[in-house]
Amino acid sequence: AAGAPKALPSSGPKSLREMPHPLAASSSEEMGPPLTPSPDLLLPRSIADKDLSLPNGTPVDTSSPASSSSLLNRLQLDDDLDGETRDLFVTVDDPKKHVCTMETYITYRVTTKTTRAEFDLPEYSVRRRYQDFDWLRNKLEESQPTHLIPPLPEKFVVKGVVDRFSEEFVETRRKALDKFLKRITDHPVLSFNEHFNVFLTAKDLNAYKKQGMALLSKMGESVKYVTGGYKLRSRPLEFAAIGEYLDTFSLKLGTIDRIAQRIIKEQLEYLVELREYGPVYSTWGGLEVELSEPLEGVSACIGNCCTALEELSEDMTEDFLPVLREYILYSESMKNVLKKRDQVQAEYEAKLEAVALKKEDHPKVPTDVEKCQDRVECFNADLKADMERWQNNKRQDFRQLLMGMADKNIQYYEKCLTAWESIIPLLQDKPETK
Amino acid sequence: MEDCLARKMEITVSEAEKRTGRNAMNMQETYTAYLIETRAVESQSEGQCAPVDSLWRRYSEFELLRNYLSVTYPHIVVPPLPEKRADFVWHKLSADNMDPDFVERRRIGLENFLLRVASHPVLCQDKIFYSFLTQEGGWKEMVNETGFQLKADSRLKALNATFRVKNPDKRFTELKHYSDELQSVISHLLRVRARVADRLYGVYKVHGNYGRVFSEWSAIEKEMGDGLQSAGHHMDVYAASIDDILEEEEHYADQLKEYLFYAEALRAVCRKHELMQYDLEMAAQDLASKKQQCEELATGTVRTFSLKGMTSKLFGQETPEQREAKIKVLEEQIQEGEEQLKSKNLEGRDFVKSAWADIERFKEQKNHDLKEALISYAVMQISMCKKGIQVWTNAKECFSKM
Repeated sequence: AAGAPKALPSSGPKSLREMPHPLAASSSEEMGPPLTPSPDLLLPRSIADKDLSLPNGTPVDTSSPASSSSLLNRLQLDDDLDGETRDLFVTVDDPKKHVCTMETYITYRVTTKTTRAEFDLPEYSVRRRYQDFDWLRNKLEESQPTHLIPPLPEKFVVKGVVDRFSEEFVETRRKALDKFLKRITDHPVLSFNEHFNVFLTAKDLNAYKKQGMALLSKMGESVKYVTGGYKLRSRPLEFAAIGEYLDTFSLKLGTIDRIAQRIIKEQLEYLVELREYGPVYSTWGGLEVELSEPLEGVSACIGNCCTALEELSEDMTEDFLPVLREYILYSESMKNVLKKRDQVQAEYEAKLEAVALKKEDHPKVPTDVEKCQDRVECFNADLKADMERWQNNKRQDFRQLLMGMADKNIQYYEKCLTAWESIIPLLQDKPETK
Repeated sequence: MEDCLARKMEITVSEAEKRTGRNAMNMQETYTAYLIETRAVESQSEGQCAPVDSLWRRYSEFELLRNYLSVTYPHIVVPPLPEKRADFVWHKLSADNMDPDFVERRRIGLENFLLRVASHPVLCQDKIFYSFLTQEGGWKEMVNETGFQLKADSRLKALNATFRVKNPDKRFTELKHYSDELQSVISHLLRVRARVADRLYGVYKVHGNYGRVFSEWSAIEKEMGDGLQSAGHHMDVYAASIDDILEEEEHYADQLKEYLFYAEALRAVCRKHELMQYDLEMAAQDLASKKQQCEELATGTVRTFSLKGMTSKLFGQETPEQREAKIKVLEEQIQEGEEQLKSKNLEGRDFVKSAWADIERFKEQKNHDLKEALISYAVMQISMCKKGIQVWTNAKECFSKM
């Protein structure tokens, strides 16, 4: 078999030989050493190379719906999406305010360009409001419970504190919604979800929403997950590690959020003082003759630094903080998925135990327990694949975010440097003898 | 400035030392003594170093010197002393006189004061000043023996008392107004600058928290760990850099403070002139009224209402002998008065001439010094910006390796 295939599922069915079996995935080497700090390197990249057969050589039935998602997942391990392999592009832009009798709200234009067969047309342009995005996210969580669904920006804003219709707020929200859809687009399973498809294409989304029931599909919706009731004895090490990681991760992000807010606050207080400081030089300049120009120059210079500082604080507020908060929300929803996984495993273990207690001579595993086992394995596989993808994206996102923060600070200092350097000749200037 | 003492002699205030002693009321006190070192400049061309003379002086002795100079040379804008107590502090700076940073800055200020006096064309020639630098014992007694305290006009202490001068010299009025405005604007500037320093300190220090949290975060990351850890180190460097930056800025603040106090010295000269003018006008007025009295007595006419005139009308005229005696006394007084007025006028004109010369000198010095101060301030800001760019560029590189 070839190495990890880059092609997407729409390019045709793969031979059984190239698709690894879910059971084959749970080899011991994947557990790794018990105290691995982060689980992102536990999955060997050569999964797709594994043979499609049980350890005892029996070929495996891959027709169950639960396993197909994980199979497709396996194909997308190397989800390096360069331009050539991408066949779906989504953008959120052009916010517009709508004033109606009952309410005022903002809609955003959602543009789709695609060559996928699942779409009737190559291009779509629809308008959506926040509650439509919220609906989509809920539907995704319902229909793809084994996957990590990206977060949305905060739903509620404190009235009076934040202006929901200010340019800055709308732009910050637009960027977050754009990120949300792009993350779904990049996901090999979620991007094929048909609620997502409808969201991108339907002229009248509300009519579709009212239908209530989505069309049945092979993408795992028929799999129902039992909520609650079963107690998990112990989380497998790798998922426990993920859980611990997420706990610490969101804690650290929370701290960074508080530090960033504090810095912005201190910067604004510094700005207040600078705003009083600059003009005093100007007042002084008014008293003097020979020193008049130099003093005015210093005053103007300080004014320029004020503007630069204002821009820095704005950038941090609008670009830095929201992304941090997004990741905190992301961690929270991921922890919930982990809990659901625990539930599924607990159910399987309980049922398995019930069977064992019956003490039959030929302990033929009933299909009911078998289905549970499948569910556990699919969930584990999906989650692991999503975790790795998430880790990779997280690394890139934070790399970009922090580099951006450094950049903005560099630009601030460069603006101030230019201002001060430009007045040196003015200060050194000898006035013409009058 | 050819013959200035500063050219002939190297003067430094090289050390400061805490001392304990007994004060005038025999109570124990702690004070700081400053070491003044002097060395003749001439013989250095032959490679031989002249010996260094030194003596210790405390701040109150500097004050005594300055008071003496102010009274003895009222037409000179006398260089000011560094502040007695720490003023315009921002939170990190201590307002304690015993604080080593304050003592250090005061040492520099005192040296600056001595250099200013030593390079002043008039002041540098003063014997008391020379003795201050070279004669340890008995200097205080020498100063007091000059009797300068008697010359000091107590009216000068009442800063806000107004003396209605009928013909004020416009130039001095304008100059006094300028010195008031200058004091006000520099005070304002120093106050706000202290607040700006405070806030800037806060901004830098909070960044130090990034260092800690990045380090903690890096512990749970594999690929991102190194980048985060090293970026955190740069955040620590950034946070620490503000201490040196603000310390350097204090020198700029000190340069401004010197001119804040110089404005006061300028105002003092205007004030002395004002009082001089007032005394002159009073003397002229007194002389005029005496002349009038004399005339009235001589001619027997009462032109203006006077109590004497009324009483003499009511109670009878004086005898001719009495009148003669009075006239004689008045004539003597008038002559005295005229001589006094003449010398006062002369004194006044001399004062104005020499004061104005020194004021012009002062203006040039001020413009030069403040320009230099502004340039050094701009240079400091440039340095701060470059440091900021460096740190964040380093951090960015660390982030890029995540």
